[in-house]
Amino acid sequence: METWLKRALIIIAIFVAIVPLGILGTWNCGDAWGEWGEVQDSAHGINWTPESYFGAPLPDYNVEGWDNKLMASVGYWISAIIGIALTMLVVLGIVKAQEMIRER
Amino acid sequence: MIYHIKKGGEIKKMHIPDGYLGPATCAVMFAVMIPIWYTAFKRVGEKLGPKEVPMLAVLSAVSFLVMMFNWPVPDGTTAHMVGGTLIAIILGPWAALIGVTVALVIQAFFFGDGGITALGANCFNMAFVLPFVGYYLYRLLEQRIGKIAASALAAYVAINIAAICAAIEFGIQPYIAPGYCPYGLNLSIPAMAFAHITTAGPVAAVVTGAVIGYLEKSRPDLLELTKIAPEVRG
Repeated sequence: METWLKRALIIIAIFVAIVPLGILGTWNCGDAWGEWGEVQDSAHGINWTPESYFGAPLPDYNVEGWDNKLMASVGYWISAIIGIALTMLVVLGIVKAQEMIRER
Repeated sequence: MIYHIKKGGEIKKMHIPDGYLGPATCAVMFAVMIPIWYTAFKRVGEKLGPKEVPMLAVLSAVSFLVMMFNWPVPDGTTAHMVGGTLIAIILGPWAALIGVTVALVIQAFFFGDGGITALGANCFNMAFVLPFVGYYLYRLLEQRIGKIAASALAAYVAINIAAICAAIEFGIQPYIAPGYCPYGLNLSIPAMAFAHITTAGPVAAVVTGAVIGYLEKSRPDLLELTKIAPEVRG
């Protein structure tokens, strides 16, 4: 394996190890602006729930029901590993598909 | 101002969800993105060298990962960086477009982060506007203020412009699509700008500047890839 690739993968592994900080550091924060599950805002007279059309296998980067900090961290780890693997595979797949189309 | 109700321990989503943008906005954003995606798809396989393909895969994974790091915003909300400027500086904006798009598609389908109907809009903001602004700003500044400062500033400005695009998409809904995002431009723009000026912008600047600084010292050749064939990626 090339040195840069090895180094990059080690750095990614380190950041995966600490990725639960991404939720633990904002545990008591509200949602990002515009990403609320429900809005009750008496100041503006708004009571609104966005429609949701699709489900996801690991909604909010977690296994459903893993609600405490420890289990949510485990869910976050699992999500990071799956997400990274899928992202790399799909990118490689896209480039490969493009090569195949070009060769024909 | 209390806008929302948060269920205990719920992990905050990071992109425009389903149900916030009306059908017209979703359709227009997809219509804009389809030719852009097609161009990127055509360019990426043709122009990336054999060594750069695994590099794009790794950098796309980095983008996925940095988006999982939510940072607390002083107003009590959260924000995150995207990594689009970083990929664009190393591999060019078209490659970055592919990388960030893949990360966003997987976030939407597997993790419910960002709506599937809003994918056109989210990709426009984070996979198109962000890396292109970041890339050209970096190129403009690189000779004048050095690679580290140029990359940090480019990442800062680019994520803020992307955030403003998202704020405009949210904020026009009350006027064109009642029943979707309930807040107009007067609230969406200051809120999104605040989160990205104070939090996501500085995070993006520090991380991008640090990676570019490290590469400039240890592997300066990796910062010249886009110059070898400028017609390709620029």
